[in-house]
Amino acid sequence: MGKIESNSRAILDLDRLVHEPARLAILTVLASAEEVAFLFLQRVTGLSKGNLSSHTQKLEAAGYLETVKVFQGRIPVTSFRITEDGRTALRLYHQQLRALLPKEGKS
Amino acid sequence: MTTPDLKSLESLTRDYAAFQSRKSGLGTALGGFMAVVLVIAALSPNFMGAHAMNRLAIEYLVWVPFLWLALKGGFSRMLYRGLGTVRASPDGTYERRRWFWILGLALFLLAMALTALYAFAVGFLQPNPPRAALCPPPMWILLMPLLYLLPIPWLVRGIEEARVYVVLVGQCILWLIPFFLFSFGPSNPPLRSDWGLFGNISGVSMLVLIYLVLIWGALAMVRGWKEHREYLALLRSLPLES
Repeated sequence: MGKIESNSRAILDLDRLVHEPARLAILTVLASAEEVAFLFLQRVTGLSKGNLSSHTQKLEAAGYLETVKVFQGRIPVTSFRITEDGRTALRLYHQQLRALLPKEGKS
Repeated sequence: MTTPDLKSLESLTRDYAAFQSRKSGLGTALGGFMAVVLVIAALSPNFMGAHAMNRLAIEYLVWVPFLWLALKGGFSRMLYRGLGTVRASPDGTYERRRWFWILGLALFLLAMALTALYAFAVGFLQPNPPRAALCPPPMWILLMPLLYLLPIPWLVRGIEEARVYVVLVGQCILWLIPFFLFSFGPSNPPLRSDWGLFGNISGVSMLVLIYLVLIWGALAMVRGWKEHREYLALLRSLPLES
């Protein structure tokens, strides 16, 4: 098997759920803290409410994050936490991507 | 979507979370300001004539550290949670450093408070037997510094906060001396009574404490303001809503 073919396979093996830029941004933010409020996640990623909800639902369905809903007085507050599976998926994605990139000094 | 790069996302999240786990920003600055103002008031020419002061006012002053703890919590909720709560990931190294500072500062405080109170009890009250009965019981003298130490593990979150808290308690110790002297002692106390070597040591300790409170208080104001500006810069660096 040639190098080009093996690289193509590696690209195809990338976790597409993580590879999507918005979801990658969401997982990166969640991996940097223990629990993140919806509002902060929305502002830091620059996504609209609807977009963020749709992406978090997909990640939750894959078991990469969990939603925490609490009431502060009468106001419902939504937060997210990355799961161990989510952390592993993100770490694996970084490793795969790093392996695909050309080493420094090599053309 | 205008997303900053992944490294920026990580650091933005960690920086924002830091304001909810260990940084107080303007709360720190306020603590430093309170300490400096109160110590300058304590050093004013009327200080040693504090008998003219309302005893109730001095009693309130010794509660200043607790007032600051409450204000700091309020500041933190009002100013640094505009985008919701972000809980920081546990950081073992920082926790160890925090506890090192807290224990070190707690021991320092305990030593200073006990020196001040013991110096008063031994040096002033013993040579004045008619009023000695008014001396606070030894257990009370021991419990007063512990009262200041009690909220530290729960309410003092970061190293910077620990320093400010110590500064505020330091200024309280400075106020406690006249509080005891003029509240429990005779109306015309013999201030020049000879306290011997112990008196000299405690005098020097008090002088060190005055300088420490002033310097640390001023530094806390600068650091707190700097932290607040960092927070504002963090908000400005967030991408615009789409």
